[in-house]
Amino acid sequence: MEHSRYRLAVATFATLAFVVAGTSASVANDDDVVVDGNCSKRAEYQLKASPEDGRLEIEGEVDSNRVGQTWRWKLWHNGSLTGKGTRRTKGDSGSFEVRRVIVDMAGTDWSTFKARNIRSGEICRGVVGY
Amino acid sequence: MRLLRNPLAQFLGAGILIIVVAMLAVLRLSDTAAQEEAIDDAVATTELLAESVAEPAIPRGLVDGDPGAIDRFDRAVSERLLVGDVQRIKIWNKDGRIVYSDETELINQTFAFGGEELAVLTAGGHDAEQSDLAKPENQFERSSGGLLEVYTRIWSPEGVPLLFEVYYSAEDIEDRKARVFSAFRPITLGGMTALVVAAVPLLWVLTRRLDRTARDRERLLRSAVDASLAERRRIARDLHDTVVQDLAGTAFALSASARDGGAARDELDRMGRSVRSSLRSLRSLLVEILPPNLATSGLHAALEDLVATAANRGVIVEVEADDLEGVDNNTAGLVWRVAQEAVRNTLRHAEAEHLHVRVTTAGPTVLLEVIDDGRGFDPNEAGDRTHFGLRGMESLIHDAGGHLEVTSAPGQGTRVRLQLEAR
Repeated sequence: MEHSRYRLAVATFATLAFVVAGTSASVANDDDVVVDGNCSKRAEYQLKASPEDGRLEIEGEVDSNRVGQTWRWKLWHNGSLTGKGTRRTKGDSGSFEVRRVIVDMAGTDWSTFKARNIRSGEICRGVVGY
Repeated sequence: MRLLRNPLAQFLGAGILIIVVAMLAVLRLSDTAAQEEAIDDAVATTELLAESVAEPAIPRGLVDGDPGAIDRFDRAVSERLLVGDVQRIKIWNKDGRIVYSDETELINQTFAFGGEELAVLTAGGHDAEQSDLAKPENQFERSSGGLLEVYTRIWSPEGVPLLFEVYYSAEDIEDRKARVFSAFRPITLGGMTALVVAAVPLLWVLTRRLDRTARDRERLLRSAVDASLAERRRIARDLHDTVVQDLAGTAFALSASARDGGAARDELDRMGRSVRSSLRSLRSLLVEILPPNLATSGLHAALEDLVATAANRGVIVEVEADDLEGVDNNTAGLVWRVAQEAVRNTLRHAEAEHLHVRVTTAGPTVLLEVIDDGRGFDPNEAGDRTHFGLRGMESLIHDAGGHLEVTSAPGQGTRVRLQLEAR
């Protein structure tokens, strides 16, 4: 219970911080922490952290409304690179989504998601704490 | 109580007890064998997981607690490590810090190392032991029914030795124990039960035979006691009818002579004969009661004593006996007993005038003949008991390799012939 309260406080703090920085954070489910915002040009992103069997599932989504764009992405866990790759936007919304499970370490786990459009150089960057 | 003394009941009780003990022993052995088998399997699985799955997948930075490296390792191998009955994985560094576990709350926690773990971490190899669930590092395993932990050494890409520890469910050991026990059960339980079942009828037959033998022995003992009593009566009767009567008569005569102022010469001579006759009767009786020592007194002297009373009965006796030197005591004793019985029969029943006792030797063969000219008897007559004693000796004679022949006919006298081979 103490742990959940602590995490809720962190999520609240993160929401306030990103509202100030032009992004917004919200709690989708009781246990999920979601952060979204605008990228450096026209695209938007969303970053979600949710618990999964003693671990955390991190989902990063970029919505550019353009199909076929190539984006390089990276995911850091407490400042350490935990995943990276390349994706193309697709579907009606012209978006892509990456999903990674990270270990739920002691204390707050900060996940940083960064995506860069190879052609336009547009950058999306979000941080979620859980 | 009587049932408890029954050999068959005792055998069945002992058989059931042995089966129970054997089953307990097999259960114990199964336990040990299953545990050893489970540990061997667990060690083999641990070595395989360590060498083939964990060590090749360890990324740089894991030993330093780098979160990204921990994530990558977790995603890469956690599902491949938690196979079969593997319940928990822990990877330790030499300081007792858990650098990785599938239970993520343990990661980066530090616990005190045991001596065995340090020894494996330092020198390599492996070890296995029952998990102590009271230890703090096992706080997440306490709900399990029991664990077996096996650990071995692996290396990080940086060249740091790590202790790779795998926890297995103890339920697997129980399953193995049941399998081993069920494999042994038909051999032990089935085999021993079959043995008991097969032995019961055999023992039943043997018990009945033993019972019958015991009854026969009891009957024989009773017969021996009866025979002994009858013999004592006969001796008492013989003493009363012969020696006692003769001595009483002599005593009366001596008393009468004393009263009359002295006996005439012929009277004293008659009393002397009477006393000598009594003496012969007593000696004859003595050799009947206690068989003589043939080795020291000789067979001829013994036979003379045996027939000493014949003269009193008006029987003319002739005794011929070779020296039995070189003949063993058993053979000589048997010759004596047959002669004794034959002479006794003649004197009691034959009403003979002449009796001839002859013992001759020819090489190893000893031949005894007791011949009388008495009234004889029909050997085929079932009710005849005059030669019952001789018949009783037939088995002894047969066992000694000898042959006994009794030839007789009413009015034709009797001839008893014994042939033995001296040993």
